[in-house]
Parts: sequence; C-alpha cells; structure tokens
Amino acid sequence: MEIKEKLKQVLIEDLNLEDVTPDEIGNDEPLFGEGLGLDSLDAVELVVVVQKHFGVEIKDMDEGRPALQSINTLAAFIEEKSNG
Amino acid sequence: MRMAIQSIGISGGFGQGVDSLQRALVAGEVEPQTGEVERNGTVDSFPCYRAAIDGLDEFFPKRALRRIDHYSKMTLYGASLALKEAGLLEADRSRMGVIIATGYGALKTTFDFLDSYLDFGYSCSSPTHFSNSVHNAAAAHVSMQFKATAPSLTVTQFEMSVASALLTARHWLAEGRVDQVLFGATDEYCDVLRYCRKRFFCDGEQGPMAPFNFERQSAVVGEGAAFFILTRDEQQASYGYIDAVTLGNHVASPLELPADDFVIAGADGHRDCGQWYAETIGSLPASAYSPLYGSFPAAAGFDLAVAALTLKEGCYFTVPDNAGSTTTPEEAPAKISCLKFGPGGDYGLIRLSR
Repeated sequence: MEIKEKLKQVLIEDLNLEDVTPDEIGNDEPLFGEGLGLDSLDAVELVVVVQKHFGVEIKDMDEGRPALQSINTLAAFIEEKSNG
Repeated sequence: MRMAIQSIGISGGFGQGVDSLQRALVAGEVEPQTGEVERNGTVDSFPCYRAAIDGLDEFFPKRALRRIDHYSKMTLYGASLALKEAGLLEADRSRMGVIIATGYGALKTTFDFLDSYLDFGYSCSSPTHFSNSVHNAAAAHVSMQFKATAPSLTVTQFEMSVASALLTARHWLAEGRVDQVLFGATDEYCDVLRYCRKRFFCDGEQGPMAPFNFERQSAVVGEGAAFFILTRDEQQASYGYIDAVTLGNHVASPLELPADDFVIAGADGHRDCGQWYAETIGSLPASAYSPLYGSFPAAAGFDLAVAALTLKEGCYFTVPDNAGSTTTPEEAPAKISCLKFGPGGDYGLIRLSR
C-alpha cells in the first residue's frame, strides 16, 4: 500500500476518526486546526503512530512541525527518513 | 443523614435504561450473550452479559468521544441516562460531585497499554491509552463532559467498592460540599479477564447462574454501568432513600441482618462467598438478581438499582433461581437491605426505604 494511503488508514484507526473516510482526507489538507481538526494531543499520538507503523522517529519539534503539516509532508518525511 | 435517590441511569446485559431493567425484572430472566476469544488457533466460546453503548451518540458528537475507551463510554452513558431522567442535562452542575465505584477500572485499556509497551517499547506506548488506563479516567471524563465541577473521585475496593463509595457520597452531602452526587458503579469485561476467570473457575464460568446454590461455582461474567443522582433534598426522592451504609467483616464481627428487611443478595455464583450469604440470610425473605446482569464487582450498584426500582414500583420482582431457595416476601417490601460479600467475609450492607 502506498505510504499516503497507509497513513490515512492508520490515522483513522489509531486516532479513532470514525466520522472520516480515507477518501475524505486530502493530501494537502492541514492535519491540524481548520483541516482535519487534529489537536496537540493528536500530535503526540501521531509521533507514536509514525514510529510504530513506519519505523521512523520524529525526534523533536524542529523535525515534527514541518512534517506534520499534511499527508503529503508527512509521507515525504517518512520516505526521506526511510531511504536515508 | 439519608440520601434521596432522584434518578437512575443504567446499561447492562439486559439492555439500556431503567425500562429495560424493569422489563428484565418482570420477565425474570435474561439470556446471556455468547462471547468468543480466539487464542492459539482455537475459539473459546462462553456466556457473558455485555453492555451496549449505542445510545451515547444521543448525548455527545462522535468527535468528542474519539479518545474515550469503552469503559469510560459505558460510564458516560450511564451518567447521561441518570441526568436525563432527572431533567438535569441542561442544569448548572457546578455543585454536583462525581463518584465512580469500580472493582477493576479501565481493564481493557490497561492491558492494551501494557501490550503496546511490551510489543513496541516505551517510545511507542500510546499516550491516549495511558491517560485512559488510570482508574480515575472515567470520573474525569464524566466531570469534564458534564461540567460537574465539584469534587470527582473513583473508589476501588473490589466487591466493596459500591458500599465504600456510597459512604463518601454521604459524607460529601452531609458536609455540604456538594448538593448532589452523580454516583456510578461501573465495570467492564475484557478478554484478559476471561482468560483469568477461565483459569480460576474453569467450567464454573459456563452458567447457568444459580446464585442461591452456594455449593457450586456458577458465575457468568458481566459488565455495565449503573448511575444514580443522590441528593439531600428529600422532595426529590423518586426512588426512595438510602438510609444507611455499613462496611464490616463477618468473621471479625458477625453480621446480623435487620429482621424486617427484604434482602437483595449480591450472590453471583461465586462459591467462595456462598457460605457468608447462607450464614447471614437464613430464612429471611431474599432474592438475587445477578442472573439478569452477570457477575462483576460493580454489580452491587445494579442490586441497588433493583432495590430502588422495587421501592418505587411497590412490588416484588421474582427471579427464578436454579437452586429454588429464593424466599418470596408476603407483600411488597418497604425496607430493603442490599448485601454484598467478598470472599474473606468482608461485607457491604446498604439499607433502603420508601
């Protein structure tokens, strides 16, 4: 499964977003605030989700902030770290 | 000081709401569901009484519940039903305390968190699972969601949890710290619990439940939430009053039950507790209602709900007992003692009246 699709799937499952389907999450849609509506507690959970499902560690806020903007930025971060 | 029972909210293996409980009491039986746990390629099937939480959407949007586990959802649902029945869903709840009695707490989430820690290590342990796994999580969710800003507490003392928590509720009301207490008794089933109970009790978990057969293990696992609005205001006593709550140990100081009370025994098919009920109840009119909701520590709260409903309706509900030893009172009881024993002779006695 492509990283973006898998990301959407695990986001919905691990963050219990029962009112959203993978198709409804846009690749460029902001994950926090106005977009998908995630909050700061989800950010902590997301760090765990990325490490658990993709084996990629988000070490600090400097790395996390740009990576956690959208599905596209998070997928790019995972790809970069996986290949690096 | 006696506590008036203003309303009840309840969800268990018999269904949701006081009406469902009353229907089960009138029918006299509830067929257990079939639980299944797959382990090492084999399927373990067993009877159980599980509580549904389908109606929770009526009170909260799904998004507000997404970080909340089954245990806390069950708790929230029971609390919602109690507040709805009392007409307090829109009320100012700044002087309403919250007390939850539970024997096990958030059992499934606790084990899920431990599993994630063991499987993936510290850095991959879910913070949400952790926050939901602490015993006070459900009480905190109830207080936050309902803006009940008076004290909030969880009491855990296994079979004695309900009686022990009621003592605290009475203190809060007597001290004037709160005007009302949103009091709940909640326990949940999880697969680890099934594993443990099967190891301890083997076929004794297969039912059917026979609470007055004190020689045989016949417990069937259950879960659910029973909530009450308790108040000092005697005008609000829709379901009668809790007159007294006593905790003790029958071995150290033998219990003598009030002679004019109808006894609701918390007997739930656990042979280890059977002798204490046999010794204390004797020939008093008594019944046990555990075959309607199963065996779990917080079921003492369900016994309390049955007692309150009995007083409100002014009638006596018959539950067929497989041992055939239930004694029927001659008329609708005006005073009821809810008696719960633990295996070591510890007891909780809750006395109610109309």
